[in-house]
Amino acid sequence: MDKKEEEIWIQGQPISEGIAMGIPFFLDLGAESIPEFPITIGEVDDEITRYRDALISSRHDLQQIEKGLIHEGSEDAADVIATHIQMLDDPIMTTGMEEKIRQMLQNTESVFQTVIGNYAQKYSQMSDHFFQQRLIDVMDLAKRVLRHLCLETQVAVTEIPFNSIVFANTLEPSYTASAPTSRVHAFVTEVGGVSSHAALIARAKGIPYVICPNLQSLRGLQVSSVIVDGKTGDLILNPTMQTLQKYRQKKTCMKTHYQLLQKESHAQTETLDGQQIKVLANIGPLSDLIGFKQSGADGVGLFRSEYLFLEHPNQPPTEEFQYQNYKELIEQVGDKPIVFRVFDVGGDKKLDFLGPMLKEPNPMLGCRGIRFLLHYPVIFRTQLKALFRACRGADVRILLPFVADCDEWMRATQIMAEVLAELSPAPSYIPVGCMIEIPSAVMACGALAERSQFLSIGTNDLFQYTLGADRNNPLVGDAYSPMHPSMLQMIVRVVQEAARFQRSLSVCGEVASRPLYLPLLLGLGITEISCSPRDVPIVKSAIRKLSLASCQALAVKALSMSSSSEITQLLKN
Amino acid sequence: MKVSCSVTVKNSSGLHARPAAFIAKLLKHAKSSVYFTCKDQRVDARSAMNLLLLMARQHSEILIEAEGDDAEEICRLITNAFETEFEV
Repeated sequence: MDKKEEEIWIQGQPISEGIAMGIPFFLDLGAESIPEFPITIGEVDDEITRYRDALISSRHDLQQIEKGLIHEGSEDAADVIATHIQMLDDPIMTTGMEEKIRQMLQNTESVFQTVIGNYAQKYSQMSDHFFQQRLIDVMDLAKRVLRHLCLETQVAVTEIPFNSIVFANTLEPSYTASAPTSRVHAFVTEVGGVSSHAALIARAKGIPYVICPNLQSLRGLQVSSVIVDGKTGDLILNPTMQTLQKYRQKKTCMKTHYQLLQKESHAQTETLDGQQIKVLANIGPLSDLIGFKQSGADGVGLFRSEYLFLEHPNQPPTEEFQYQNYKELIEQVGDKPIVFRVFDVGGDKKLDFLGPMLKEPNPMLGCRGIRFLLHYPVIFRTQLKALFRACRGADVRILLPFVADCDEWMRATQIMAEVLAELSPAPSYIPVGCMIEIPSAVMACGALAERSQFLSIGTNDLFQYTLGADRNNPLVGDAYSPMHPSMLQMIVRVVQEAARFQRSLSVCGEVASRPLYLPLLLGLGITEISCSPRDVPIVKSAIRKLSLASCQALAVKALSMSSSSEITQLLKN
Repeated sequence: MKVSCSVTVKNSSGLHARPAAFIAKLLKHAKSSVYFTCKDQRVDARSAMNLLLLMARQHSEILIEAEGDDAEEICRLITNAFETEFEV
């Protein structure tokens, strides 16, 4: 070990951004020895009960993890865990296993190990990369069940020492999901990919993550400390004091820079030439309000009320429950404005309690957004009643999601008028706005602007429906820039119509939080932006460095271009 | 009653975790026994884990065999699921 304590730099593949320093912790997964012994026929029933209990405990774990992820707003990560829960019902795991216990007359752990081993062997014979990723999910689940069977076969993620940089061959999604950020500072794995479930979860939790294919060669080296740079993919083993100093500075720099932005963020935002821009925050669960207060946002630009639904998938929230939640929201936000989007469910946000009622061949073109509320008017009315009761005296505006045309708009506002008429005393005037996220709404936006008090462009959905491409599908989504020429034309049209009727207009969606696209949005005439609370200080600071005049010149240039690659090139210069 | 039919995997990512779970869920209350055969591998379609073993990519042909009272209905449901690419 002559290389002891020498500083080593390794270039890995960056997966999840951020800088972390810590002590290496090697997770040697899969090296457990499972006890193996025969059982008598009389013991079979007890063994099966023990096995069923392990399944129940595993299910319980996973449901807790899922709940936590939904609460954090990491919905994609929660989906991964949901497939694990489903797998617990698989005949291989249930009846198949019980049969095998009867047949093999051996202790459950060893039977389970054999069953899963056979499965993994069959699986590994196929060499399909995409499907190989799914085996990781099966093995992850198997380890969880095994842990409940023979206790302490693996270090629980909550027992990892504080300040650890976790090294592993591969990361199991549920392991990543339950990693406390105080203990796990970063992940380094040999195998994985940008689109793997674990990567997605690490990004959602803000844990730096780098993939480094030749970890094997490091075995035998003595490593006492590690630096991980999740942005560049750099992995530094045994950093010298000098390097450590440099990265500490870099990390502090990033942190103080952000804190500085946060501090400045509470002031109003103007471009260099004095155009005022409002930067508001998107809020999902009420726990986002902590971030909201620090962000300096000028208000809530989008309250996603459907989170109340998603947190209680088994039954629709009652009026009283909603009232309490809305009241808390309004109190916490204080005198800043709130754009309250009524339940936007359906599409990719499914509700369990509507399960059999809501079987659609194509949910993205189905009963979602305002259509859902018109289809289930009781749910809509209950929400409106709760909101109208809670919002007295506050600056609350209602936003209707996924409106396709004026007919839907009129049917929805009709219901609102009816609910208002039933309440006494009637609440003060509440402005109602329209989400523009379907191409038909762009074409009809003059009429919609005339009828509503404000408009909000939802760029994520508008992009998908305009280009007919799913942004989450790497096969098609990555091929287009969100600032596609068609999108620019749509934004221009909405800006013009909003101006004609003197309605305020905001943009929410991914493009609103990316400094790269800001000059173009401002140049096209957008003066209100809503993004995640974390991004508010960054967006505000970026706006303060822009001049509206040059943004407008840029927009003119971009509008003359016919391909999104040209536009992207223009923005990058 | 014994019914068999053949389907083609249409969705781009193939018969991966979510579609497999979808099929298994669909068959949860079916009375018939249902088997899928793809590339000489025959598996019980009630198990999503087994369905994954088929590693059926886009454009793969799958033979469906159902036997029981509701075999015809089951075949129709499954064909439809493949046609609509497992969107609920």
